[in-house]
Amino acid sequence: MNSVASKRLYQEYKHLTTDPPEGITAGPVSEDDLFVWEAIIAGPEGSPYEGGVFPAELKFPKDYPLMPPTMKFLCDLWHPNVYTNGNVCISILHAPGEDPNHYEQASERWSPIQSVEKILISVMSMIAEPNDESPANVDAARMWRERRPEFEKRVKADVRKSLGL
Amino acid sequence: MADTQTSINIPQILAVAIVGFFAIRWFLNKPVSDSPTAPTSSSRRGGRAVDINKINQVTAMFPQLDRRTIAWDLQRNGGSVPATTERVLSGRALETPPPSFQPNIPSAATEAGSSTGAAKRSSPSQPDLITRYNLQGRIGGKGKEAVPSVEQEQEAKKSAWSADKAARAENLKRRREEMILAARRKMEAQEGQA
Repeated sequence: MNSVASKRLYQEYKHLTTDPPEGITAGPVSEDDLFVWEAIIAGPEGSPYEGGVFPAELKFPKDYPLMPPTMKFLCDLWHPNVYTNGNVCISILHAPGEDPNHYEQASERWSPIQSVEKILISVMSMIAEPNDESPANVDAARMWRERRPEFEKRVKADVRKSLGL
Repeated sequence: MADTQTSINIPQILAVAIVGFFAIRWFLNKPVSDSPTAPTSSSRRGGRAVDINKINQVTAMFPQLDRRTIAWDLQRNGGSVPATTERVLSGRALETPPPSFQPNIPSAATEAGSSTGAAKRSSPSQPDLITRYNLQGRIGGKGKEAVPSVEQEQEAKKSAWSADKAARAENLKRRREEMILAARRKMEAQEGQA
């Protein structure tokens, strides 16, 4: 508990434990290292991901909350905004300031007033509503756009498989 | 008059074409044929290797410049960062490198997570959640698993934050496992209905 980052992460952990948002469980893998978290996000209702649960790893930089953590799904997640290696591409995880490509508003990007909870909620809504403009998984994005039934079928099969059924 | 002009022009055009052809050939082959004549420059390996740190230094100063162009200029001046910097600052544009010059430099863009760069990295298929969290023992017999009621869950939520570190870790683990098992039960029930 010596640094600003540790204190902040401890507070966020406490908050997420006492008042967890619906469908989200998150906390450090071990309290000995508060900079590595594991979160589980439930698939949003009404999306093809409904019924699934998706584990993800969050890694925090030493200068958190000035800089955002990175987030990586630890399961197969076929989604336009998730790289095939599991890394999540979402504006809230991008370093503060203006986007050099002018795609995103500065307000959408990371800033110290955001939190782990907000990240996880944003990712949950991203899962439900993919952002077609900046695909991380081009094949998934194309399938989502052009062959929606096939996309949903594949996602549902992945969900089922991930639950060991 | 007209006759003499054409008889002069055709050889001229031919000469220009031939000289131009050799000039282009010489230019394209230069980086390869160049290296044996200057073996003293230690930063070159096969005329290609340019210190990445030097390229990064110049890129940091002039982010608008193409990294390949910088690499080319560094190679031509023997890897001198000050010389390249001086050249850019003096307003003389850097030479466009020939197409045959393809140094192996990781571009900054792909490092930053461009879609093409990272998407190519494929990962092996992940194990399912039951395997991942060692829950095999808790899914065997149907009905054996005690399903917590809504009241119990509410109770658990209220007293969620324990003063004891181990108890907190245990609590988090339990919530995580319960979330996965609940999802599985729900999915099983849905399939049972269908």
